[in-house]
Amino acid sequence: MTNTIQILSIEKTGKESSLQKEHNNKSIKIIDGYFFSRNLDDQKFTKISKLISNDVSQTILTKKNVNKVLSSYCNFNWVVEIKFLPGVTDNIATTVKEIIKDNLKSSFKSFELGSTKIILIKGRKEDITKISKNEANPLIQTIKIYPFKKYLNNFKKNQFKIEKVKLPKKKYSKKEVNLDISDYHLSLIGKLGIEENDKSRRGTLGLDLESLKTIRNYFSTIKRKPTDVEIETLAQTWSEHCKHKIFSAKIDDIQEGIFKKYIKGATEKIIQLRKDNFCVSLFTDNAGGIEFNKDWIICHKVETHNTPSALDPFGGAITGIVGVNRDCLGFGKGAKPIANTYAYYLANPSKKYQLYRQKNKDPMLPANFIAKGIISGVRVGGNCSGIPTPQGNVYFDDRFAGKPLVFCGTVGIIPKKIKGKLSHKKKANPGDIILMAGGRVGKDGIHGATFSSEELDPNSPVSAVQIGDPITQKKMSDVIIRELRDENLYSSITDNGAGGLSSSIGEMAKESGGFIVNLEKVPLKYNGLYPWEIWVSESQERMTLAVPPANVKKVIKRFNARGVEATIIGKFIKKEKAIVKYNKTEILNLNMEFLHEGYPKLNLKTSFPKIKKEKKKIIKNSSLIDKLHKLLSSPNIVSKEFIATQYDHEVQATSIIKPLQGEGRVFGNATAIKPLFDDEKSIALSQAAYPQYAETNPYDMAGCSIDTAYKNLIVSGANSKKIAILDNFCWCSSDEPDRLYQLKEAAKACYDYAVAYQTPFISGKDSMFNDFKGFDKTGKSVKISIPPTLLISSIGVVDKISHLTKMTPDDGDILLVLGNTRNELQDSVYFKIIGYEKSKNPVVNSKDALRTYRNFEKANKLGIINSAIGIDLGGIGIAVIKMAIASKKGLTIDLKLKNKISVDQFLFSETQSRILVSMKKNKLANFKKIFKGSDYTIIGKCTGSDVIEFKDNKKIIRGKISDFAKSYKQNIKGL
Amino acid sequence: MNVLVLSGYGINCENETLHAFEVVGFKGKIVHINDLIQNAKQLNNYQVFAIPGGFSYGDDTGSGNAMAKKILTNLYDQLIDFSLKDKLIIGICNGCQILINLGLVPSLNKKDPEVAMIENKSGSYECRWVDVKVNNNKSPWLKNISILNLPVAHQEGQFMIPINLLKSIKANNLIGLQYINNHKKLAKGQFPFNPNGSKDDIAALTNQNGNILAMMPHPERAFYHYHVPNWQNNTSKKFGDGYKIFMNAKKFFA
Repeated sequence: MTNTIQILSIEKTGKESSLQKEHNNKSIKIIDGYFFSRNLDDQKFTKISKLISNDVSQTILTKKNVNKVLSSYCNFNWVVEIKFLPGVTDNIATTVKEIIKDNLKSSFKSFELGSTKIILIKGRKEDITKISKNEANPLIQTIKIYPFKKYLNNFKKNQFKIEKVKLPKKKYSKKEVNLDISDYHLSLIGKLGIEENDKSRRGTLGLDLESLKTIRNYFSTIKRKPTDVEIETLAQTWSEHCKHKIFSAKIDDIQEGIFKKYIKGATEKIIQLRKDNFCVSLFTDNAGGIEFNKDWIICHKVETHNTPSALDPFGGAITGIVGVNRDCLGFGKGAKPIANTYAYYLANPSKKYQLYRQKNKDPMLPANFIAKGIISGVRVGGNCSGIPTPQGNVYFDDRFAGKPLVFCGTVGIIPKKIKGKLSHKKKANPGDIILMAGGRVGKDGIHGATFSSEELDPNSPVSAVQIGDPITQKKMSDVIIRELRDENLYSSITDNGAGGLSSSIGEMAKESGGFIVNLEKVPLKYNGLYPWEIWVSESQERMTLAVPPANVKKVIKRFNARGVEATIIGKFIKKEKAIVKYNKTEILNLNMEFLHEGYPKLNLKTSFPKIKKEKKKIIKNSSLIDKLHKLLSSPNIVSKEFIATQYDHEVQATSIIKPLQGEGRVFGNATAIKPLFDDEKSIALSQAAYPQYAETNPYDMAGCSIDTAYKNLIVSGANSKKIAILDNFCWCSSDEPDRLYQLKEAAKACYDYAVAYQTPFISGKDSMFNDFKGFDKTGKSVKISIPPTLLISSIGVVDKISHLTKMTPDDGDILLVLGNTRNELQDSVYFKIIGYEKSKNPVVNSKDALRTYRNFEKANKLGIINSAIGIDLGGIGIAVIKMAIASKKGLTIDLKLKNKISVDQFLFSETQSRILVSMKKNKLANFKKIFKGSDYTIIGKCTGSDVIEFKDNKKIIRGKISDFAKSYKQNIKGL
Repeated sequence: MNVLVLSGYGINCENETLHAFEVVGFKGKIVHINDLIQNAKQLNNYQVFAIPGGFSYGDDTGSGNAMAKKILTNLYDQLIDFSLKDKLIIGICNGCQILINLGLVPSLNKKDPEVAMIENKSGSYECRWVDVKVNNNKSPWLKNISILNLPVAHQEGQFMIPINLLKSIKANNLIGLQYINNHKKLAKGQFPFNPNGSKDDIAALTNQNGNILAMMPHPERAFYHYHVPNWQNNTSKKFGDGYKIFMNAKKFFA
């Protein structure tokens, strides 16, 4: 009899090697443990062990052999046991249960199961404590450290225990909340949550005093007290996350708010000017849609998952990526996800920041733990879902120490018409059944929407963390996209993300009028959830569908046949009422109008911020080659190859321009996929953000982001008339007038540049409070705000394969820089690393830029351009070296400069809208015709040697390509 | 010529795998594992059984294990029948891991798996292009091919083979593909040419009959010329190297 199965690898695993290396200890072994809630007899033990192990590579530990097997490695003396906290998603346990049930059928009664990681070491207790800190997150896992002897004893005496959710057995009775209380007590409800009978608080609602007063007024008019469910629902629906109150607020003299005026305003203006069918579905749906070809639409959405990733980097990031995948599944009638994008803005992983959420306790996770966790989270989410992840970037800055920014994006594709109906239109009809499909509901992520609207402080709730389960989602996604959608079996669909059912059903019901939901029907992961918890839980991998009654049986049957759960939980109605019942008791009854539009509108004022210009001095006695190496190896320029190779970018067989380009594998700034086998059109993707430029001039910062994201697609060969962009604002302290000023300026630039470039915004999202309020190691209180960050993601259509460019020149090619170079070193990488005194920040001149881009496009289509690369961080100097590394071909660069610009200014200035290109000599005449009146400089040629030469009037400076490649491919410290 | 391409529970390369078969002349269908279990007789309509890449059951309990156990429980005999006829089976990446866990390859001694797929030596997921040379020319899948340039994308691609078994694998010539370096010599375990540290640079194994191929690299992702990295330097060909594998299947039945 035993209640555990424990398995270890005979040979050293990759994970063990990396642990041993990291901790400089050769005596580390990892065991996969499975703890059962009931005892297994010998026969079952043998049978189940065989099902979940491989006897070629693994050994199964038994009471009899455990001592002998383990002592054959070494004399271990410490053990750490890492298990998931009760209620946290345990994907491995789910799989194991499924294998057992399938194989043993009914011969094995119901049981609970927990997967456990057991690490054994020979070393000191400090060593195992250190390992446990690197391998486990106390927020989601329990960590038990004990001597090896006790481990053997546990084995003998069946004392391995599984963590079960123990919720008090409580009978639900309808709870009314008294709002006729003092302002102070009212604000406590907003900040700490509704008070339970035992005086404890449920956790933040993120409602301000004014919103609570508005709720109080509404209920005093209808002459009753609100229920807890009603207040929770209003808190979710009115959250900054869902309603974007700051973007829609009146700000200074802008009545309609910056979203309507600058973002949507830009798109409306562009649509009015363009008069084509490019824009299909904008701002209203889960993602934005544009025309791909005559039969297909593509959609794109980018989300952030910052706060969850600060608390649980792996869980936060995996949830981020599979969550945005569902935005595609929820676009129109359901688009198939065909590419993921990512962008991480992180603190320096080699530094120790030592921040605490409370004085001397509750430490922030170390920067390298956060960085690694985020990178792995997206890897597992993307790879397991079978969606390629070609496009991304990483940027490091100390100011992300309090909150990392994690942007996750997905591109989807859907036929324009399904059974003769437009696929991007959907409407839940009165009478349609509300069907919840996918995963079950637990306590995960309760209060996620309300808490992502607030700063990270000691009251941030721990249950706000969810862990994604990509396989459950993949199973669900396959049924929807491949089977149900194309038979038109449902009338509307949306995903369950922030706010859970309260949000998804609330949104869909706008299409029909209202809804009635019976919460007791919702399948749960474990018993004991309160109705309000079921209603707002953010358990992942769920879609909500509106299904005509006639199709319901068929739809449920299809889901079940593929191992996916689907449950009827209510229906949509015509009456504009939101009604929720729990065992026939009505616990929510609100007007739809009040639910969605009742929140008090903000009235914001801005003020001009004091600019803190960072001053740097020139470092003397540094040679040009030295400077180039310093820049190349700096974390923001150095190759991100180690991420690109972890992320499957080849799945679906669509990758056509890959993240690593040229024989020398340079990390490109745009990628392309060819999504259809029978059309040579491709989708080019890129993104850009310049948080480092934000404090100097937020308007120019936004201009640079748009210009770079647009330029990268032009350079890759996209059709300039088929480029769309997405805006993701991640701001800080958005209740402060000077931060709001920066926001307004950035939004204004969005309008100006989008209209100038004729690239519509098709979707966007904002996250307004990326601040950390806590303490440093001495107990002093600190606030760390991220620099305002605007990520612009760009998506464009490339009409022909032959338009796709490469970044590798050929022998004899001439090199040219298109666009003018100015002394714009302020806030550049050079400025940060080398230092400079007098300079300006990069400013985009859209007229000049467009001239360059149009001419480039023309020249490229005519086959004049042989290779091209957008010039961005590190300027011409870095672009030149990247070309040489990618092609493994030497270049000669002529430094005879014009316009009184110095060598360093010429090579390192980050002036925008420039492209480095190469072409065959015999194309120059044609090129000149096209570029007449446009700025360009011939800067050298491709020699094909193994060196890069910089020629001055007096001397020649040389550097070997292989040396540059070494600097460029250095590991990032701490990762 | 009909091909059945398996799907479900996290398998995810079925579309492109089916497409590759269709382009060379097969008729095919993607069939969900549960549908196949419900009606295993449909296997009679097919000449090729393909298990594509993916992440069945999220690699939990070891890549390919859970799906192999599902097949073992519900479909094993039918699949053995299929393999004993003049038919072809291919497992790509996760499909390879499933076939290995089923013991269908190399299948020298017994029913239990004789080989294990374990984590890459690097400890990380590797998505990159590699060169492999064909070792076993008698498998219909690999006939008349010498070298292939294909992508791999896996976390657990290392073949772990007990020494004695490795001897008989070699004696029976069951190594299908081996990783080679940039000088077209065996990679000798050197990263990144051998991306996972596989012993003897093994990238694929076959059964004795040669009709079952379990390969870690993805031929369907190297099907067209524009799949190949830096294809712009060579636009004269229409297809990439992966095409040859699918063509061989066609030739076998032609």
